[in-house]
Amino acid sequence: MMTDPIFNRLREVSWRRKLTAGEEAELRAWLAEHPESLPDWEHEAALNEMLGRLPDAPLASNFTARVLQAVEREAAAGARGTEFARPRYRPWLRWLPRGAFAAIVAGAGLLAFHHHEQSLLRGQLVQSVATISDGASLPSPEILTDFDAIRVLNTPPADEQLLTLLK
Amino acid sequence: MAAEQDPDAALMLRVKQGDSGAFAHLVEKYKQPVINVIYRMLRDATEAEDVAQTVFIQVYKAAHRYEISSKFSTWLFTIARNLCLNELRRRSRHPADSMDIPHPERQDESWHQFEDKKVSSPPESMLHGELEQKIERALSDLPENQRMAITLCRQDELSYEEIAEVLGCSLSATKSLIHRGRETLKQRLKPYLNTGVWREEK
Repeated sequence: MMTDPIFNRLREVSWRRKLTAGEEAELRAWLAEHPESLPDWEHEAALNEMLGRLPDAPLASNFTARVLQAVEREAAAGARGTEFARPRYRPWLRWLPRGAFAAIVAGAGLLAFHHHEQSLLRGQLVQSVATISDGASLPSPEILTDFDAIRVLNTPPADEQLLTLLK
Repeated sequence: MAAEQDPDAALMLRVKQGDSGAFAHLVEKYKQPVINVIYRMLRDATEAEDVAQTVFIQVYKAAHRYEISSKFSTWLFTIARNLCLNELRRRSRHPADSMDIPHPERQDESWHQFEDKKVSSPPESMLHGELEQKIERALSDLPENQRMAITLCRQDELSYEEIAEVLGCSLSATKSLIHRGRETLKQRLKPYLNTGVWREEK
């Protein structure tokens, strides 16, 4: 690949368009100093001419009209699609967010009620345990010191006459 | 790029406002350059016209999103390139039956005798001489990116920087693609380059 900057620049320009008069003069001067590059340049120029000879692709004479008709059809189809999406087929969708909100509120309420019930039950349980604890407490040792005396006092006397008769 | 520097951008802004006349003007201006690029990529005149129509429909549908950040022609040819690549990918996923299967009774003939419309020449009215056929065939045999780069290079509306933007690669990579493609073309067309027959057929 030719690396000379002048040659490369003029070559790249020629790929896209014909050289101006000034560029042609610059090229001629450069080729005069580098005649070994002349075949390369001639091949580039020949290929430019060949590519330039390629005819335009075939195109219908009513192409623009057909494009405009297609665009109108697209616009009409788009308008119909918008109508179709109206609430006629989606009334329930409008209520969906409200229903979701109500469900969330109800759920929160149920959760709070359950929590409250649980708290009450725990409270009752604690009370029960406290009551039982109170009832099961032992008397103080001082009370027990007179226990025997009180026990004897409460014991009825023996029936001597009955015992004598039974002997 | 301001609208006053790019008259096409100014037209596109009017299309954005719903001006169908401005849109028709753009279609008229760019229909041939666009289909030239598409045809050279797809090698089928009917498909090229369909894809070209889709390009302009896409332009119209995207008008509300159009911003003057790049030249209109750059944006337009980028859409054309993308749709071409989509079509080429679709073809590669659904290849046609091989044309080379021999006929069971006549082994020297292929089974299918249909004209190869994809690669064959465009309608004869378009072609003048064997040379143009050779050029078309050599161009169609190039890799997609080189073929696209060389085809875009023939568009007066696009600078090298804009071609690079359409292709989605750097300026140096773009010039490299064009150079490599041209070197291949020169090798394929060497007999004609040397004999100068292309001058004689003018």
